[in-house]
Amino acid sequence: MTKATAENHNKELNRLLNKRRLWNFFLAIIIIIGILLSSSVVDVDSSRLLNGLPRLGDYISQILPQLDSQSLFLNSQIEGSLSYWYFNLPKYIKLLFETFNMALLATILGSTFALLLSFLAARNTSPNSFLYYLVRRSLEFFRGVPEIIFAILFVWALGIGPIAGIIAMTLHTTGSLGKLFSEVHENSDNKTREALKASGGNWFSEMRFGLLPQVLPNLISYALLRFEINIRASTILGFVGAGGIGQELYLVINFNYYEEVSAIILMIILTVVSIDLFSEYLRKNIIEADND
Amino acid sequence: MRSLTIKNLKKKFKNVNAVDGINIEINEGKMIGIIGRSGAGKSTLLRMINRLTDPSEGSIEFDDTKVTSLKGRALRKWRSECAMIFQQFNLIERLDVLTNVLIGSLGRNYSILNLFGIFSKEEKISALRNLERFDLSEKALQRASTLSGGQQQRVAIARALMQNPKILLADEPISSLDPKNAKRVMDDMRKINREDGITVICNLHSLEVAKRYCDRLIGLADGKVVFDGSPDELTLEISKELYDLDND
Amino acid sequence: MTDKDITLLHPKIFLPLWRRSPWVIIFSLITVLYLLFSINYFNFSFTQLLQGFGRMKPILRSMIVWNDFLSWNFNSIAIGMLQTLAMAFLGTIAASIISIPLGLMASRKVIESSLTRFIIRRFLDFIRGVDILIWALIFVRAFGLGPLSGVLAIFVADTGTLSKLYSEAADNADNKQIEGLVSSGSTKIATLRFGLMPQVMPIFISQSLYFFESNSRSAVILGIVGAGGIGLQLSERMKAQYWDQAFFIILLILIMVAIIDRLSRALREKFIGE
Repeated sequence: MTKATAENHNKELNRLLNKRRLWNFFLAIIIIIGILLSSSVVDVDSSRLLNGLPRLGDYISQILPQLDSQSLFLNSQIEGSLSYWYFNLPKYIKLLFETFNMALLATILGSTFALLLSFLAARNTSPNSFLYYLVRRSLEFFRGVPEIIFAILFVWALGIGPIAGIIAMTLHTTGSLGKLFSEVHENSDNKTREALKASGGNWFSEMRFGLLPQVLPNLISYALLRFEINIRASTILGFVGAGGIGQELYLVINFNYYEEVSAIILMIILTVVSIDLFSEYLRKNIIEADND
Repeated sequence: MRSLTIKNLKKKFKNVNAVDGINIEINEGKMIGIIGRSGAGKSTLLRMINRLTDPSEGSIEFDDTKVTSLKGRALRKWRSECAMIFQQFNLIERLDVLTNVLIGSLGRNYSILNLFGIFSKEEKISALRNLERFDLSEKALQRASTLSGGQQQRVAIARALMQNPKILLADEPISSLDPKNAKRVMDDMRKINREDGITVICNLHSLEVAKRYCDRLIGLADGKVVFDGSPDELTLEISKELYDLDND
Repeated sequence: MTDKDITLLHPKIFLPLWRRSPWVIIFSLITVLYLLFSINYFNFSFTQLLQGFGRMKPILRSMIVWNDFLSWNFNSIAIGMLQTLAMAFLGTIAASIISIPLGLMASRKVIESSLTRFIIRRFLDFIRGVDILIWALIFVRAFGLGPLSGVLAIFVADTGTLSKLYSEAADNADNKQIEGLVSSGSTKIATLRFGLMPQVMPIFISQSLYFFESNSRSAVILGIVGAGGIGLQLSERMKAQYWDQAFFIILLILIMVAIIDRLSRALREKFIGE
């Protein structure tokens, strides 16, 4: 390398470094301005935060169970035993089962609708552009509105209970999976679809054989992810009366049944984590089977 | 004797004429080779015959049917009568070979059961017969992706035969194959041309192969026909012009 | 060869469907049975459903017909929107800052002790198992109604997920750059600062941006339990059955989220692209 090119090289390097520094500086300024503006909007004042922290500590210590190692396994009449803490266990299990079923049913229904609509909502598979536009925009709408907002609406129309929650989650699932599915279709390879078309197959056989075998593993994997999300969502829909364990949780938090709060939250966490693990295992297997 | 008549066919992509006023008549039962450089319009011509691409101008007729104005069900019937195979074989790699062949029948008689992957016994038998012709019936239950390129292309030909086609369009069928497999595929195409009387129209990059297998060659350059005749009539000069050898 | 010969040669192909692909049949059967079970379990009744949807007709009408549009309280709506954005921003920033040490401590590139990593990871799992709305409810109990509780809820919920993503990014970092520094005798801190951070920082920033985007969605619902933002305005109007105003707010939220989507995607491309 001659001296001149080395110098050029250094100049170039310096220019890039300067550009990067400028960027970082710019970013830092934006973040600081953002924090200042946001704090003034939100009214975060440090005294409130500091006053709240001990109260938060108190609250947490209140909701934690007073377990006594001596009487841990005694019956539910005795304070400090596990069964005293979980005296309401049968009810929790019943409600968790309901929560689980709400999520599962909404995932099954939502992914079925999403699958049917996704073919219309993908640019490369939609039979006509008006239909594409209409379906795609509706899916985006249903995806954009959080399930709990739908739940409020359906609780009003259908009454309190899990049906409102199921419909709300189904709508939201249809929207988000429908959009994801149609994006998978759009990224698919069109060779096999073309072969189907060239052999005189109609639109249905083009979708079923030209597209579906190619995208199915991806779609299943997305549906499983959505199931994990729906399990979480179904634990809170009860806050607005749409069924599941959330209704009970809302009640015990608002009526300060302290130990029951921790009992329910612990059960929710166990359920969510074990379903996450199971679904992750399934997804990995699907992807591995796919790579055979 | 029926024939395929192409009149003043044009296709414009943006401002370029990919196909620029082609007139040809092709009689039934012949094996036709379409030759020329890549970008000469060979692929576009074939795709317009199958109507995968719509022409900008001109007409294609087969017998009394005006192919260029077909729509809906009639269009799908035409497509099933004029089967097509591709450079990349375009098989459904995740499905087994048998299903890939059975799919060829969807254009002829389609039933809702087919969408659930259920096909009648007669169709399965006919699919197996077609596979047997190319020594592939042993592989019927294997995933298509496990086959070699040459085998995949022959599965594609078996699928095409499931359509009971009158014409077979082959778009660069041997470009992704090694010489041994290429020969096998070309032999098989000549076999169905001679035995079943199916018209074969084949885009070929290699002049050698085209001369050896085809009854008639059509040379394209810049979307226009610059040669049309038997392989013997193709002089060195014309082939030079076709492949633009002087400019290379 | 006769047809019979062919069927005899390939017996497997001509088996009845349930013998050829039993799993497909079993799976479909289970699904159908499950659906039947659910209809029974949830007391699904179509007449009830139709009645309910019948009741929704006037709602749907008032969603589209806006009569007294000019008299709506736009001021509170605007403040609500701003609050939601501010909550999402502060929550994400706070979670991003705390997630850097937490995420690094959960990564095997940084902490050798598998026990420490195990404890931190389970702690993060625990946080992630609780939905953001539950956190909001708890903070409302401790800090009272208002956006501060919302910010804290976002902060805690995001710390669970961001730390996990950060630790995965650190796990996937290139070893060569780190080993180079170790072999030249750098201290642990210097190795992290110059070997690991430059690699993972763009990923961290891009993930935080993505979370800001998704938080601007989840911040919308926090108001339902009283944790401030536009959700409060929305749920109040829904409870009072001002469906027209509620629908208007939903449209505003959708527009806001779409704009943030675009901006954040452009920025993320900038950081990952470099």
